[in-house]
This record gives sequence, structure tokens and C-alpha cells, in this order.
Amino acid sequence: MSETSTAEPRVVVITGGSRGLGAGIVQAYLDEGDVVATCARSSTPEVEKWQGDAAVADRFLFLPADVSSSADCAAFVNAVIERFGRIDVLINNAGVARDGVIGLTSDEDIDVVVDLNIKGSLYMARQVSRRMMVRRSGTIVNISSVVGRSGYRGLAVYSATKAALEGMTRALARELGTRGITVNAIAPGYLRTEMSHGLDEEQLQQIVRRTPAGRLGDPEDIARACQFLTDPRNTYLTGQVLVVDGGLTG
Amino acid sequence: MQDRVEQVVREFVARVKPEAGEVTVETPLYADGVGLDSLEAAELSAVLEDEFGTDPFQGDTMPETLNDIVSFYVTA
Repeated sequence: MSETSTAEPRVVVITGGSRGLGAGIVQAYLDEGDVVATCARSSTPEVEKWQGDAAVADRFLFLPADVSSSADCAAFVNAVIERFGRIDVLINNAGVARDGVIGLTSDEDIDVVVDLNIKGSLYMARQVSRRMMVRRSGTIVNISSVVGRSGYRGLAVYSATKAALEGMTRALARELGTRGITVNAIAPGYLRTEMSHGLDEEQLQQIVRRTPAGRLGDPEDIARACQFLTDPRNTYLTGQVLVVDGGLTG
Repeated sequence: MQDRVEQVVREFVARVKPEAGEVTVETPLYADGVGLDSLEAAELSAVLEDEFGTDPFQGDTMPETLNDIVSFYVTA
């Protein structure tokens, strides 16, 4: 926790925090002294590192869960409530991409991407916002993507799901605002994480050349934006999409 | 069980709708009764789920009265 903060640690739920961007967000909140609960389909070396780190183990929870399953989301949220008593922050980060032109995209690929990226985020928002409403406080951040705004060849399904998250963000901000809950989204640009593996090195270098910041993004870039949007002082900031892309789409 | 369910619902109504007055088991929960709106109904469903582990609002029909909520738990 920062030296100037005397506030009680927040309980932060981050879906898909076992690797890549999600792991970066988990690390950032742990570094701030917050309590962090995350889920993924299976554990990873990053998760095992946090579980074995005496400095964070008592304020870190990992549970295996498939966020595209309503039952798994309910079980995960209930377990967090049972252990930590409340949820202050939800980061809907879990997502999947399947690249390929739409003419060759299978039903299964469409289902997998829609079920996790859209339905999973809705399941989590439903479970968590119900508890936040009772407490009259909370903040939700949905991890979108610049391709939800600009599109990208071969990522039609993924782009559609990310655009959907932005609509969900605005609707939930209107719905939950009177209950003291803010809802925002972050649209990251192209990050050097596993999620960018659908792009080849030439495509990534082309993106770098077109990016004013002159580089791909890091998970830490997005984690800092998460912390800004979930700062307890930012109660007047809701229903917005913060684009963090090095100026690519500016 | 019935007494505890009634207590939880009445405490919730007293907190979010203090103007509602006395709530009998037959008082409608929504318009022309307690006056809960949809967000307040969702909030009540969360309170009940946290208290009793199950949620009478997740079934096919929404409970219309306190009696409906009690029946959900008593007959479960």
C-alpha cells in the first residue's frame, strides 16, 4: 500500500488473473496492499508464486473457475464473499481471442469467444453488483480493446465482444450509479502478451511504427489505468471508456 | 425459519423504504404496496441469498408478497 494511504485494504476481484494482462493487474493491486481474488481455468507459476509468498499469501485467493459458466462465477464470488466479507472492485479481464476470417470461423469458435468475453462478464457483473448494491459502493472495470472500436482483420468475433463490453459498461453505469457504483472500461491497445499471439511479428512491428508512443503496451500500463479508474475518490467518473493505446487511435 | 425470513425482509424494507410503514405477509412488494423498484428487488434478492444461501427471485416467478418469500424457504 502507498505510504500516504491509511485506508482499509480493498477487496479486488480480477477474472483471468493467472497470466498475461490479468497477472499484471493482480500484481499491481497486491503491490498496493489490497486483497486480491482471482480465477482462471487452471493455476500457473505466477499464481503459485503469489500463493507461496508470505508477504501476500494471506491476502491472495486463487480459485479455478471457468468464467463462461454461470455456476462457476456464482461459486467463485460466493467463495470470495465467504472469505473476505465483501467485494469493493471487480475487474472483468478474462477474455479469449480466436483469430481467423469470418468466412472460416466455426460455430464453436464464436461460442467460445462470446461465452467468455460477453456472457462471462455479465455473469460476474450480476453476481458482484448485487453485493455492491447492498453496500452502496463499488467499482467495476471492464477490459475492452481498441479493436472493439477500430476493428481488425481476422478478429471480427473478438472485436464484436469487446464492443459489446463497452455498451454493457455504459448501461451498467446508468443502472448502478444511484447505488454508488461506478462502471468504466479500459480499451488497451496492442500489448505484448499472450493475447497478441494471433498477430505475427510483422503485424506487431507495423503497429509499433504507427503508435506515437513507439512501442507496444505492457500490462503495467493497463494496471495503472485500472487503479486510476478504481481510485475511491473517483466517484464522478463513470460510464466511460479509457483508451490506453500509446496514441494509436488518437 | 418463517420468523427469521420475515425479520430479514422487514429490516430491509425499513432501511430502503422507511415510508412504507407496516409490512404484512400479504402486502404487495412493488407498486401499490411496499413500492420496491427493480433495483431494490435485486438488492433484496442479494440480501436473502447471503442470509439463507438461496434466492427466491431466481425462479420462474417473482415473489409478489412477503408470504411468497416465506413460502419459498419453508417449502424448500
